[in-house]
Amino acid sequence: MMTLADKIVEIYPELNGTNFIKIGIIVQNDSDGKGDYIKNWSHPDFPQPTKEQLDAIK
Amino acid sequence: MASIITATTTSGLTHSADNSGVLQLASGTGNLVTVPSVTGTAMVSGNMPAFRATKSSSQTISNNTLTKVTFDTETFDTANCFASSTFTPNVAGYYQVNYSYSAQSLTTGRNYAMSGYIFKNSNIYTTFEHNITSAADQYGNTYVALVYCNGSTDNIEVYFYQNNSSSGTVLLAGSSSTTQFSAVLVRGA
Repeated sequence: MMTLADKIVEIYPELNGTNFIKIGIIVQNDSDGKGDYIKNWSHPDFPQPTKEQLDAIK
Repeated sequence: MASIITATTTSGLTHSADNSGVLQLASGTGNLVTVPSVTGTAMVSGNMPAFRATKSSSQTISNNTLTKVTFDTETFDTANCFASSTFTPNVAGYYQVNYSYSAQSLTTGRNYAMSGYIFKNSNIYTTFEHNITSAADQYGNTYVALVYCNGSTDNIEVYFYQNNSSSGTVLLAGSSSTTQFSAVLVRGA
C-alpha cells in the first residue's frame, strides 16, 4: 500500500529521492490511528496536492 | 517523644523569619538548612515527577514521514504523568528530557538521514539530523533537552524521521533497553 509520501512522489516525480523536510514538506503521522497527513507544505515550485489528486492514486 | 507543631486553623502553618530575613531548619549541631528568600514550591523527591518508558514491539517508520514514537511499557512513572506516549507533568518547572532510538533493518551501504525530534505542545522543540551510510543493520542515537513545562497543559512527545535512498522503511527497535523516552524535573518553576 502506498504511503502519503509515495503518492506525493507519484504526483511530482521530480521529488523522488529527495528529503521532504529539507524542501519544506512535512508529512506527519501522530500514531493516533488517523494516518499520514500534510503538516506543512512550503515547497517553492510545486503546489500542495489536492485531496482529489491524492485520492486518485491507489 | 518529638515535639510536633500542629496548625490549629484551616489556613495551614506558616513559619516566618524575623526582621533579619533568615529562616533556618536545624537538624543537629551545626547542621542548618537555610530557607532561601524566594517564593515558590520547595522540591522534594515526592513531588518531582519522573518517568521512563520503552517499547515492547518494533515500530515501522515510513520514508519521509515524521512519525510519533509510541511507548507501551512504563519502567516507572512516579506521578502518573505519562499516558498515550505523551508526558504531561503536573508540577511546573524545568525538565530534562531524554530520548534514545535504535533504528533497525537498515541495508548496508544505503544512505540514510535520520532525525529524532522532541516535541513540546505538538511543535518541534529540539532536533538534529544524522546522515550515515549504513555499515550495519542498525544505528542509534540519543537526544537530550531541557524543557520548561507549566505543570498543567504543557506536554512532551518524541518523533522520528528517516529518509533513505531507496524509499524503504526503518524499524524502531522494541525492547526494554533500546528505544526509550524519559524525563525528570530538575528545577521547580
